[in-house]
Amino acid sequence: MNAVAAISPEPRGIRRVLASIGRFTRRRVTFLLRLAALAWGVLREAARPLSWRPMVRAEFRRILRQAAGGGLPATLITAVLVGLVMVSQALYWLGQAGEEELVGSVLVTILVREVAPLLIGLIVLGRSGAVTAGELGSVQLNRQTRVLSGQGVDLFTLLVMPRVIAFALASFALGIIFVFVALIVGFVAGSLLGPIQSSIFSFLDRVLEAMRAADFLLLPAKLLSIGYIVALVVCLTGLSAESGDRLTELLPRAFARGVLTIMLVSLVLSLAA
Amino acid sequence: MAERHPILDLKDATPRMLPDGVINAPLELRLAAGEFALIECPSGEWAAHFADICCGLHPLQRGTVQFLGRDWSGITHMESNALRGRIGRVFHDAAWVGFLDMEANILLSQRYHTLRELPVLRSMALELAHEFGLPGLPVGAPVGLTPADLARAACIRAFLGEPLLILLEHPLRPGDTELPVPLINAVSTARNRGAAVIWFTPDDAIWRDRSVPATHRLRLSEEGLIRPRRLT
Repeated sequence: MNAVAAISPEPRGIRRVLASIGRFTRRRVTFLLRLAALAWGVLREAARPLSWRPMVRAEFRRILRQAAGGGLPATLITAVLVGLVMVSQALYWLGQAGEEELVGSVLVTILVREVAPLLIGLIVLGRSGAVTAGELGSVQLNRQTRVLSGQGVDLFTLLVMPRVIAFALASFALGIIFVFVALIVGFVAGSLLGPIQSSIFSFLDRVLEAMRAADFLLLPAKLLSIGYIVALVVCLTGLSAESGDRLTELLPRAFARGVLTIMLVSLVLSLAA
Repeated sequence: MAERHPILDLKDATPRMLPDGVINAPLELRLAAGEFALIECPSGEWAAHFADICCGLHPLQRGTVQFLGRDWSGITHMESNALRGRIGRVFHDAAWVGFLDMEANILLSQRYHTLRELPVLRSMALELAHEFGLPGLPVGAPVGLTPADLARAACIRAFLGEPLLILLEHPLRPGDTELPVPLINAVSTARNRGAAVIWFTPDDAIWRDRSVPATHRLRLSEEGLIRPRRLT
């Protein structure tokens, strides 16, 4: 291959443009195919009890602690802000307009279906995804993969699988906490802003009533999928680092890919529901 | 199985030429249980390359490498990983996974390949730590340790769990006068229980040292493994 590259003349003009389009397309398609393969691989391996060896379980616990525990303060702060800004305002203005019965469906449509999964995806990506991209990028760039392979440790089983499962679970847990805190804070703030006719229990009841059967599936599906895909993207970005890459380049790459993926997954699931 | 087959058997093993490849000659080496090959090798890269060949991590152009009678090229990925769990190894560079602490690094292979309880592994590692002159198991991140402590930690990891093949890539740092004796003792203990050992050294003095009880003294060069007729 090197010999061919050595004797091939540099493409010029239109061929050069076509070559760069081809290179760009090939890289993206390769990335997507690898992503799909990893997504399937994690599902398959995670279902096998043999994959959950003591070291893999320890790594899973570490990552879950990092993702869920580390992301909790950011989730709580964001939920309080969303509660103050979005939920209380919705309560206040719908109350002013005499449309308080619409509160449930407005909050379910905006907060539960769209805002919560999106923000939780961004929190998990920023708080834990960047760490994972850095860790795995460093393992790859410093040739520490050789040490793992030399000890018979499967890189996929130790590095990718526990991270993906931990991110998915952390995303789900943080998402549920986020929605609950945002609703409570929003109700309290709305009560302070103006007279709200209902109690907190009837408010929560109204939100639950506004949820369709599909919403009970959509929220967990979105949260789990976003955590799952974010982890896959950052793992793949870290492990596909090539010599010459620097961590300072790798982290923004992982972040940009992660944001794009979160948006896509959220959009696709919203359209499917 | 280990009694019927040699631990390691390289027959006409010619590594496939890779951009970073250094050894291109056919390699012949047969190590039975209890045998010890001391190989003089100029660089750590060469030692790592040879060790990778022994572990089935380097593709061959010709010949075979068998570990415990199993040809690396004829077994599945999962089987080869399981077999590598029976190999203890001191890596000459980038030996530690940066995001794991030292204890996790040392116990990694055992916690991956065995179901031994953590306290049992800790006590086994602690025993080895004492043998190699450390007061306890190293803690903290690998970057926080001195090179001397890292060399001892690497030996603990290589001998932990009674591996059947031990590959020591330049285990001694220049000027370290305390590690050779415990290392030779550990090698002897491992051989007595039936392990085979390959020790790569860049140091001609160690290679010639009669107190190192090697059963094979070899040199690794571009022409492959050379057996000098006699020590001079």
